[in-house]
Amino acid sequence: MKFSIVIYAAPYSTESAASALRFAESLIQQGHELYRLFFFGDGVHNASKLTVVAQDEINLQLQWSKLIEEHDIDSVICVSSALRRGVLDQTEADRHGLGAASAYESSEVAGLGQLVDASLHSDRVVNFG
Amino acid sequence: MSSLHTINRSPDSKLLERCLKVINADDAILFLEDGVYHCILPTNLSAIAETVKVYSLREDMLARATLSKTKDRVEAIDTARFVGLCCEHEKVVSWF
Amino acid sequence: MVEKTNTTNPTKSCITFISRSAPYGSNRANLCLDMALACAVFEQDVNYVFLDDGIYQLLKGQDGAAIQNKTLGSALETLALYSIENVYVDQQSLKERGIDAAELLPSIKLIENDALSRLIKNADLVFNL
Repeated sequence: MKFSIVIYAAPYSTESAASALRFAESLIQQGHELYRLFFFGDGVHNASKLTVVAQDEINLQLQWSKLIEEHDIDSVICVSSALRRGVLDQTEADRHGLGAASAYESSEVAGLGQLVDASLHSDRVVNFG
Repeated sequence: MSSLHTINRSPDSKLLERCLKVINADDAILFLEDGVYHCILPTNLSAIAETVKVYSLREDMLARATLSKTKDRVEAIDTARFVGLCCEHEKVVSWF
Repeated sequence: MVEKTNTTNPTKSCITFISRSAPYGSNRANLCLDMALACAVFEQDVNYVFLDDGIYQLLKGQDGAAIQNKTLGSALETLALYSIENVYVDQQSLKERGIDAAELLPSIKLIENDALSRLIKNADLVFNL
């Protein structure tokens, strides 16, 4: 079955982002397709690569990025949420004259149209917030 | 068109109360994260219609030391089964 | 009441939005609105329901500028411009909060639990925040 997942929650503040990650890993493991991840609102912080965590703690952003790369998942950070929270890819950083990109390259910065597309092309859309 | 309703906040959130006002008889409820605290007190669950299946995420209950306190009305499931439930219901309505 | 129901057309789905959060104090009301407008732009069938604290979004006379914010009430008036005509407010939520329908923005239909239940049941997808 084809799933898309929408993540509204920042990592660490609540459990939701971690729940979403476990859910995503599990559905892939069962042979379902993850059509798209859509990070929205505070959820965009899950795509930030400028993070350091203690060695005995899970690095959620890194785990997301590994999962995305390993399974070649289409992962989108909502542009309007991301820019105002400082989660930028190189293109956006250059466009706005900002020094550095902060988003993992594994995710793409794009608009809400990608969420509509995911709604149309997925059998299930599951929200984590 | 049955729905799986997920609730991830404790009973204080009143999300279950709200969900029950609009739930359909063939729907199911899954408690996860702090939502699993609903499952240790029968009065939290008494308003749920008998036709509505009730699930709770085992990993979250283990973390919170509530698994052994969980009432029979509730079926403990793992994340893999959560995915399965999403397939069995036409859509997922998340209350958060 | 004419309720839009799910359709077999793969380019069009029926999406019910339940907006349950008050404006300004959090961005959830804005996120919900942004998603609905995007769905409408891509010509999806949208139902929009104000429930619980979400009903505060509909109060007339809001002035977001007082706190350096956009006025959400004005944004909601644009729903019709995006062809979102199925806009509902939960009658019981109004009653519980001592708000009279006359205090709200116009063109919003009063709804009760049974009807909301059907809007959830008959939708392809529900966004609920």
